[in-house]
Amino acid sequence: MPWRLLRFALSKKHPEPRMFRAHAELKRSYDVVIIGAGGHGLAAAYYLARDHGITNVAVLEQGYIGGGNTGRNTTIIRSNYLTPEGAKFYDMSVKLWQDLSEDFDLNLFYSNRGHYTLAHTDSAMRTMRWRAEVNKHYGIDSEVVDAAAVHKACPMMDLSCNGHAPILGALFHAPGSIARHDAVAWGYGRGADQRGVEIHQQTKVTGIEIVAGKVKGVHTSRGHIATSKVLCAVAGSTPRITKMIGIDTPLFIHPLQAMVSEPLKPWLDPILVSGSLHVYVSQTARGELVMGASLDPYELHNTRSTFDFVEGLSSHMIDMFPFLADVKVVRQWAGMADMTPDFAPLMGKTEVEGFYLDAGWGTWGFKATPASGKTMSYTVANDRNHELIEGFTLDRFRKYAPTGEKGAASVGH
Amino acid sequence: MKRLPPQAGEWIDRGKPLRFTFEGIGYEGYAGDTISSALLAAGVRVLGRSFKYHRPRSVLSLANHDVNALMQVSSCFSVPNVRADVTPLAEGLRATAVNTIGGVARDRARFLEWLAPFLPVGFYYKAFHKKSQFPFWERVFRRTTGLGTVDFSARRKGSPKRYAFCDVLVIGGGPAGLAAADAALRAGARVALVDENPRLGGSGLYNLGGADGERQAEETRRLAAIAAAGAVVYVSSYAAGYYADHWVPIVTPGHVVKMRARAVVVATGAYEQPAVFRNNDLPGVILASAAQRMLARYSIAPCKRAVVLAANDDGYRAARDLAAHGVEIAAVVDLRGANSRGAVPPGTLVLEGHGIHEALADSQGALRGVRVAPLARDGTLDGYQAREFECDGLLMSTGWAGAAPLLYQAGARMEFSAELQQFVPAACPPGVYAAGRVNGVHGFAQKLRDGAAAGRAAAAQSRKPGSVDGAAPSCRQERAQSGMPSHPYPIFAHPKGRNFVDFDEDLQLKDFFNAAQEGFDNIELMKRYSTVGMGPSQGKHSNMNAIRVLAKILGRTPGEVGSTTARPMFHPVPMSHLGGRGFMPERATPLEGRHAAASAVWMPAGQWQRPEYYAVENQTREAAIRAEVAAVRGAVGVIDVGTLGKIELFGRDAGAFFERIYTAKFAGMKVGSTRYGLMLDESGVVIDDGVIARLGEEHFYFTTTTTGSATVYRELTRLNAMWRMEVGIVNVTGHFAAINLAGPRSREVLAPLTALDLSEATFPYLGAREAQVAGLPARLLRVGFVGELGYEIHVPASGAAHLWDQLMKTGAAHGIRPFGVEAQRLLRLEKGHIIVSQDTDGVTNALELGMDWALKMDKPFFVGQRSLEAMGRLPRKQALVGFTLDEPDTGMPKECHLVIESDEPAGRITSIAHSPAVGRVIGLALVAPALSKVGSTLNIRIDGGRMVRATVSETPFYDPKNLRQKQPETA
Amino acid sequence: MTCPINGPRPVSEFFYHGELRPMPDPQAATDDAWADYVFNRNGAPGVKREWWYHLPSGVWFIAERDTATDQVLRTYLYSDAVAEAVQ
Repeated sequence: MPWRLLRFALSKKHPEPRMFRAHAELKRSYDVVIIGAGGHGLAAAYYLARDHGITNVAVLEQGYIGGGNTGRNTTIIRSNYLTPEGAKFYDMSVKLWQDLSEDFDLNLFYSNRGHYTLAHTDSAMRTMRWRAEVNKHYGIDSEVVDAAAVHKACPMMDLSCNGHAPILGALFHAPGSIARHDAVAWGYGRGADQRGVEIHQQTKVTGIEIVAGKVKGVHTSRGHIATSKVLCAVAGSTPRITKMIGIDTPLFIHPLQAMVSEPLKPWLDPILVSGSLHVYVSQTARGELVMGASLDPYELHNTRSTFDFVEGLSSHMIDMFPFLADVKVVRQWAGMADMTPDFAPLMGKTEVEGFYLDAGWGTWGFKATPASGKTMSYTVANDRNHELIEGFTLDRFRKYAPTGEKGAASVGH
Repeated sequence: MKRLPPQAGEWIDRGKPLRFTFEGIGYEGYAGDTISSALLAAGVRVLGRSFKYHRPRSVLSLANHDVNALMQVSSCFSVPNVRADVTPLAEGLRATAVNTIGGVARDRARFLEWLAPFLPVGFYYKAFHKKSQFPFWERVFRRTTGLGTVDFSARRKGSPKRYAFCDVLVIGGGPAGLAAADAALRAGARVALVDENPRLGGSGLYNLGGADGERQAEETRRLAAIAAAGAVVYVSSYAAGYYADHWVPIVTPGHVVKMRARAVVVATGAYEQPAVFRNNDLPGVILASAAQRMLARYSIAPCKRAVVLAANDDGYRAARDLAAHGVEIAAVVDLRGANSRGAVPPGTLVLEGHGIHEALADSQGALRGVRVAPLARDGTLDGYQAREFECDGLLMSTGWAGAAPLLYQAGARMEFSAELQQFVPAACPPGVYAAGRVNGVHGFAQKLRDGAAAGRAAAAQSRKPGSVDGAAPSCRQERAQSGMPSHPYPIFAHPKGRNFVDFDEDLQLKDFFNAAQEGFDNIELMKRYSTVGMGPSQGKHSNMNAIRVLAKILGRTPGEVGSTTARPMFHPVPMSHLGGRGFMPERATPLEGRHAAASAVWMPAGQWQRPEYYAVENQTREAAIRAEVAAVRGAVGVIDVGTLGKIELFGRDAGAFFERIYTAKFAGMKVGSTRYGLMLDESGVVIDDGVIARLGEEHFYFTTTTTGSATVYRELTRLNAMWRMEVGIVNVTGHFAAINLAGPRSREVLAPLTALDLSEATFPYLGAREAQVAGLPARLLRVGFVGELGYEIHVPASGAAHLWDQLMKTGAAHGIRPFGVEAQRLLRLEKGHIIVSQDTDGVTNALELGMDWALKMDKPFFVGQRSLEAMGRLPRKQALVGFTLDEPDTGMPKECHLVIESDEPAGRITSIAHSPAVGRVIGLALVAPALSKVGSTLNIRIDGGRMVRATVSETPFYDPKNLRQKQPETA
Repeated sequence: MTCPINGPRPVSEFFYHGELRPMPDPQAATDDAWADYVFNRNGAPGVKREWWYHLPSGVWFIAERDTATDQVLRTYLYSDAVAEAVQ
């Protein structure tokens, strides 16, 4: 039992202060306004305060801290991306992730489980090799393994997948991890708060004031605030914000659903992803199987659940793990994924001076949280795109130069 | 505990005893028992251990609103997390409690409770995270966490799904639901009725409290009989969730019924809520409704001597029910003030204005007594004035929370009623109605009226949507007559804690105060930080109290605090039920049997299986493929290409239509000829390719890639709908078989089978003809994918096997050999022909392929053209080139190995193979434009990080002038 | 979802293509304007005209759907009038 828990037994009063202060009022102006108190927004606030000394920052959140996709994803962290831009960016992210618990003095349950992207066809095997080669070039630990290695990592799995889609091999990514998703937002939020950032929950942005192509202020449900810099980090709500200022983007919003089983004694060590069967699954420290599949097939701006989703995913889960037939699904939920045509994010400066975008996170935003905070805080502080996000700016589409993450054509999680 | 004497209406069949074991000890119950009821009847006091502290637990709700009795149950294999309270007993069943070390009685993990002071809410966020130590702690956590154990030997199963339709779906077969079903039946509606219990009737058959109750039970039985006769009834079944358009999956014991209703009545009742006081989780402390279910259904007295904690009329009814079955009532403790008491048996002590200060445990950890204390004005208990009562049962009846998840999922607007102290629907969406307790209506007569109103409204709505507005039917009166069913704050602090709010998660009252102190003071954050409501019972017994506690902390009303979202599933659903039998369509060409007979080794291609190659005894895979290649180059081969998409176009504008969808030109295309086409998306990315044959002025026939046929056909029909040209499009992929006969001898093989003049002059390369082949109507295309004289022969699928056999027969003399996908890949690579999706990827545009001959940019329009024009003015990102390996002995690259230039990736291999015809390793690569000139060196990093060199070469590698495809008659 | 030909059917029988968007004149459009057409989407919620396809019968039609609530307001076959309406 760690000594640091001793104080809870010895202290009469619960010896913990608030993680985030409550603020009765908004100030009249801030140096930077961040829209969205999810992981990304709070990470940017944290690094703005810690690394750039900018603390006069308001983070505005229409709901509650971490209540959007931060708290709805399946918490997979990896850097085995296909493009050099993606690999380098997510590699930075994974390295930051590994130290976050100690940085925050908050246990994020950053759990290094190893990540297998299963290949059921020879074309998938080719893609795995492509990813492995790009990864290795940038020092990322990825390799193509054969079916025997997959069997060794998960001996209980039916490698034939009920005869539907025999597993030929996999891309094994040793750093693949999961983490306690809510805690990431809390850790960044607490760290930002301690450094003077104000987090305003239940504060909705109703408009953005632009004069002569420059940001001047933000209208909110609690009044107007003056600012010259706005960072928009609202994932599935991004088009609502960009519509306020007339910026067109390629974003389209589809729900992404997930489901969770009852707690079971842990048996599944690695994170498994099958693009062919549209399954990704890991087992949390509570013993729940957290499962996801592909995007919903049509645009929708709400988080309703569908029965089709649990039917399809359960069927494929049983293909892979026949013995789970009697294991029960407890809950399903959904988030709104902001997709881009090339499966790479939209980051950085925009045509409106002082308006910075951190969007296009589709189904891969959680793992990007630290790197997006780092690079966006740099970009906002210096009004210059961080070098790691130059491939992710909105203007790439005007140049007909998508960042080819879609080339992998596998599940994006 | 013993069984009571037999009584009318009991669910157990005393004529059918069942033997079973729990924790290795044999017991006997009856058919109709649940595992828990049989164990209670056998006098077993501890049925489980709690999740975190491993405290002894027993029945709380007996209704699947808690998981105190969660078991691992074995028959032929072992099933985890079985809810013993509601799982029917079966002969020979073997059960153990989940999550114990060494059994439920002496669980060695119970020491974890001593650590409780060190384990505040969210303790695991506060420690264990030193990087060097986390892996150790994580292993500790993963050993101690989880509930049941997965049995890897469990068999795969999936139950078929059923589909059903009805006018009015009534969910809940208690008094309100039965009244709704009755009213809807009277209105002539087709009614389906669902109840999670094995019998209809709900609380109407157990919440009795005397003669009135008996009359109500009589009425309940009458309504149940009407429903059973008139409605489709699903018992032991529950609605997993409400999904859009009144789509409600009903989980029955064996399978899921997907019900599409025209209107839905939600009469799901309410969850009785525990009071919160010290040791409120001891075995023996139960909800009053659970006690009533024990009495009425299983004929079990929950205890010998009871204290009843009441704050509503239901508590008094329960007390009377206990007394009627001979249980001694030590006291009724009423949280309310004077003059609120209900009727009690003569001589019963009633303590108004009192509460339970703590429950006391015996040596086994089960209830032995309670300390009852008077309530101070501020609602707290004065422990110094507490009196002790000996009892082995404590019934809690202090309030209800509507079982409203389905209403939330349907999008009902919920509001908090201060009068009822309950969240009730303020407005329901069209076609959804609430009735009974979930609607805030609690009295029996009121429930019947409310249910009938809902049933009538639903029936009217089902006949004529919109005839009844979406608002809940007026139930104000019924709600007003419901008294005060719930106490506003039946929650009591105690300096020593152990006053549980969430039994699943072992959350005590102080945890909520501490979470709020740490800033988690809105309901969603509190849920996420404390995990309240996130256990297997999903907050059914805990969410309402959590809301009350948070409201108290914030000085707000529960309505202002709000509730969390209630997502499906209503109760957990086995994956076998959800997954059903699965549906993975697989397609086979009509030649599957011929391939199998020829020892084909299969590989998947989209939904199809194709022969990768044909195995030859005592030959390696490589040797077999080499022989197939040699046959095509030297004599003749035959390959089943029936998986290609096959689409026909008719109409005056067919040619013009092709002009717009393919990059090639079609306007001047002659009847009887073919043309290669690339299909792009709007951004210029290559999405498909194929051969287009013009069979008549207004008749085209073309192929797509194997995986592209459905999407290409779909998109063409959309474009046709939008452009409204005079074109008819028919997908004939399955109607036609296609066989490619290729090799220098192919003409000689084909000639005997057709009267068609095959001479080069009359049927030249790239020609297309319709003729009889082997007695079949056939379409013949002179194509050259593999780079030899060849005929792609399309015949009706039913004739495919005959044609194959005839070709093999006439070909035998010429050394004909079937070849598979692998040989074809090599043959086409020698010709430099691309495979879309192997040599291209999701962002490869047509300018990058070096196939400018196929891009007719001077056409007025084709899909993707304008983007190519724009991109043509921008620097290229990559180019597809052919290459040959300089020194094949230094190592063999694989597809997707990288080309490295200046220590950065500068491309990748897309295809590579050793070419017997060229005598070298050849390949295609997508490389940086700077490397794309013929003669450039490509540095390729292969396995192990070694570098090999290749040189960019002209393509085709083989027969660069394409003479062999155009081969005239044998010279 | 109500197919204009087949009537109301489960939404799983349908394929969603995306919003019906007028194509600018390729000759007249600048490269930037064309890129905006190809890549940008009206991502904000609202009532949109969308292409939907009934898979079993192969019918393309237009659905007017509120993408915030998933409520389908109207469905109809594509026609000249529709083409004019979106221009």
